[in-house]
Amino acid sequence: MCGIAGILYKNDPTDSSVGKALISMLDGCQHRGPDSTGFALYHSPKADLLRLRFFVENGAEGEKTITRIKDKLAEFQAEVVEEERIGSTARFTVHFKGDLQKLAYALEHVAKVVSIGESLDIIKDVGSAHDVDDVYAVDDFHGTHGIGHVRLATESDVAPEASHPFWATGFADIAIVHNGQITNYWKMRRRLEKRGFEFNTDNDSELIAVYLADKLSLGEKLTDALKTSIDDMDGTFSFLVSTKDEIGFAKDHLAAKPMVKFENDELIAIASEEVSLNKLFPGEALITSEPPPGSYGTWQRSI
Amino acid sequence: MATIDLAATSVREANELIRNYGAKGEDVDVINPDARHHIGVGLVHDIKVHVQGSAGYFCAGLTDGGRFEIDNNVGWGLADNMLGGSVIVRGNAGAIAAVAIRGADVIVHGNIGSRAGQVMKEGTLLAAGSANFMAGYMMYGGRIIILGESGEKLGQDMTGGNIYVGGKINSLGTDAHQIDLPGDEETSIREFLDRYQVPFTGSFQKVVNAGKKLRYDKIEPRVRNVPFFVASGNSDYWNEKVQEDIHVKSVIGRYRIRGYGATRPLPHLSDIAFKKDISTISADTNVVDKIGLATEIGGRNGGKPISLSMPVMIAPMSYGALSKSTKIALAMASKMSGISENTGEGGMMDKQREVAGQLIYQCLSGRLGWNIHDMQRADGLEIYISQGAKPGLGGQLMAKKVTKEIARIRGIPEGIDLRSPSRHPDVLGADDLVIKIEEFREATGYRVPVSVKLGAGRIRDDIKIAWKDGFDFVELDGLQGSTGAAGNEVLEFVGIPTLSAIQESMDSLDEVGGRGDMPIVLMGGIKDGVDAAKAIALGAHAVAVGTSAIIAGGCIACLQCHVGQCVVGIATQDPEHEKRYDTPAEALHIHKYLESMRWQIAAITDALGHKNVHELGRDDLVALTPEAAEITRLPYAPEYRQSAQPRIREAG
Repeated sequence: MCGIAGILYKNDPTDSSVGKALISMLDGCQHRGPDSTGFALYHSPKADLLRLRFFVENGAEGEKTITRIKDKLAEFQAEVVEEERIGSTARFTVHFKGDLQKLAYALEHVAKVVSIGESLDIIKDVGSAHDVDDVYAVDDFHGTHGIGHVRLATESDVAPEASHPFWATGFADIAIVHNGQITNYWKMRRRLEKRGFEFNTDNDSELIAVYLADKLSLGEKLTDALKTSIDDMDGTFSFLVSTKDEIGFAKDHLAAKPMVKFENDELIAIASEEVSLNKLFPGEALITSEPPPGSYGTWQRSI
Repeated sequence: MATIDLAATSVREANELIRNYGAKGEDVDVINPDARHHIGVGLVHDIKVHVQGSAGYFCAGLTDGGRFEIDNNVGWGLADNMLGGSVIVRGNAGAIAAVAIRGADVIVHGNIGSRAGQVMKEGTLLAAGSANFMAGYMMYGGRIIILGESGEKLGQDMTGGNIYVGGKINSLGTDAHQIDLPGDEETSIREFLDRYQVPFTGSFQKVVNAGKKLRYDKIEPRVRNVPFFVASGNSDYWNEKVQEDIHVKSVIGRYRIRGYGATRPLPHLSDIAFKKDISTISADTNVVDKIGLATEIGGRNGGKPISLSMPVMIAPMSYGALSKSTKIALAMASKMSGISENTGEGGMMDKQREVAGQLIYQCLSGRLGWNIHDMQRADGLEIYISQGAKPGLGGQLMAKKVTKEIARIRGIPEGIDLRSPSRHPDVLGADDLVIKIEEFREATGYRVPVSVKLGAGRIRDDIKIAWKDGFDFVELDGLQGSTGAAGNEVLEFVGIPTLSAIQESMDSLDEVGGRGDMPIVLMGGIKDGVDAAKAIALGAHAVAVGTSAIIAGGCIACLQCHVGQCVVGIATQDPEHEKRYDTPAEALHIHKYLESMRWQIAAITDALGHKNVHELGRDDLVALTPEAAEITRLPYAPEYRQSAQPRIREAG
């Protein structure tokens, strides 16, 4: 029940105004989801540095959570080099060389993890694109690419942790935004749980993220993982997935959820509706295309 | 020539301006459209609207007679339900281009998205490029011309109309087949292409309905009637109804169709009682004047609310399922009692509009009888998502009732077993629904309430979606709701009982803080003012009556509504049968019945010590059975069983 958007810059890969672009695009389709807004933003990675973000409670309760997080980080020999408490979240940058999945699962048990990655930072909260920007200064974000989401809360509460994008719990730098509904959710989830994966929420978008991340960790290419996802997932969906250097999309066989893409020499942009794309190019008539039913695709950043 | 700059003007203001220019006959240029939704919605005059750029969803939707030109792309639902006029798109169109059109020319120079021409009735959709997946899905009439490739499943479940393809046919859908192209049709296509200056030198292939799914292959044998009270008897085992059912299935080899709703016993409003012993209420002719009954409903978004003299409405029932005379009688009775009538699925009749005081106009998945002119003369608009009798399924109207006249109003071929689509072409989720509701509001200048009819299913989620999406009110229909035709097993076993429906809807609204903000109109087995008062005490803002109003107007509850040979002239389109229906007399009967409800609601409110019906609350109620207590969380008080069925005598 939502709107999605993604953007990838081709020529100036490390310092593009990804934040500003996604705010405009999500503002353009805010009617599809007024309750919460989120961004998965990608910087260029730095050696052995991990970015982590957690939801923390207000006041003293939040301080306790932060202490628990720090204890756990210390236990895993992750050295905090930077930290910031902002909005509903706490953000850390740490030196870390160990097993990320183990660290992630351990952290899940002491706090609500928003995202972990070398490049990825997920910012999401209740309110409109501009509301979230006001708190988190998404506007100032410069990087390589990103995806975003506006949410109409129906089956779960209006809460920051129910917002998108979803991080692929346990897998660095993979995020998903999704419009639609996966109807064989529990079947798929039980299959993945049997193989040892943990789920942070009951949201079907997290399932897609973990499903794809699992395939990628087994050495599959993103495009192959997307191809099988269309047959494995039952339901209506249009989703975008981002990794540290790619954005991919997939659409169900009935094309029940919209998606429009645009490409020029400078960038590739994809969104639920053309009105979001036009927000980047006011007053212009864009040459766009709508991916057909059951289609998928990826764009890679030229590094 | 006027110019509207959408960088400086909202679409809402722009559409108001476009309609005003339309009335004056002045053409309009729209600049900086930037793919915004709803451009031109609601225009009913012959002017040219030139959109200089891309337009979003429902461009030129719900219009009649305008000439639209869009320089670039359009989003989903191009020319939705357009009755006449033309739309030329220079770029591509998104999904469901020309959905439900009833006579316009829609020309797309680029490609068209999936399900183009879904449920269209008349007119032409031309795509100079290629189509996609399920073009012509469930189309009833008109023609689709595709110069490029057809896409997969072309003509899926089309009922009528013609599809012509210049390029490759990728695959045909179910019940579609390819036939030879007659020469005169080719001439007509070429003329159309010339008129809109679309060059094409290739040849065409023609695809039409194959006729395999238009009718049930075996007709149910005539059986002796097993009336409702027998069908709802105590034993589930081998009773008369069960025997009859088995016999009929042994002949037709499929599920059976019948009228009415669930007959099996279910927890219902009769399983709750008023906390005070009201069996001693005496006839008080003045009680109606003493108690506040007036109820307004639907002003949540600034539209003019429906104003009811008491918290009762007539439930949506179609002209088609019911005879014209019956619909007129209901409309007359609703006016006499100062409440509202509802068109149901089959469109609006002039006479019905004339005699009904307040008329709600219902929009269903097949868009049968739906059009901008009737929208603009309705007092409320209602999107039907589902109904209590058959949640998740579309309406059914058997061939006997699909007469020439009914087929004309609905825009469908005559004499088919009409199975309306189970879902809307343009509502595939809460996000699309927001855009659809806004289209209705744009088309009517935000003047009237927009409600939703929901069959009780996943109420907790559905009610939240309705609230979030901004509906003015909900007509919530429980499992006991009736219909003119549905599968017997569906009627009996699919859905949630009315009692659970109202309770879950209140819980759902409480979870989001929406109680009091979005009223619920409860229906599904409301049989008198006692049920109405209980429903209101449980949180409903009003109730709607369908079956009981029909019975008041002469129905004998034989459950054979689907056959079309109703002996009292209600559920029939046969003039010989309809002759038996005395419209003014039955209108009076329905009116008197409604007045009995008024008196009961007032008397109960008074007896419980309130001055206004909307002061009734849960504190006034107890549950008589463990099941009802479990469902409603009311105190279980079996000691009230003695006084549970008060014999309230009619005043006067």
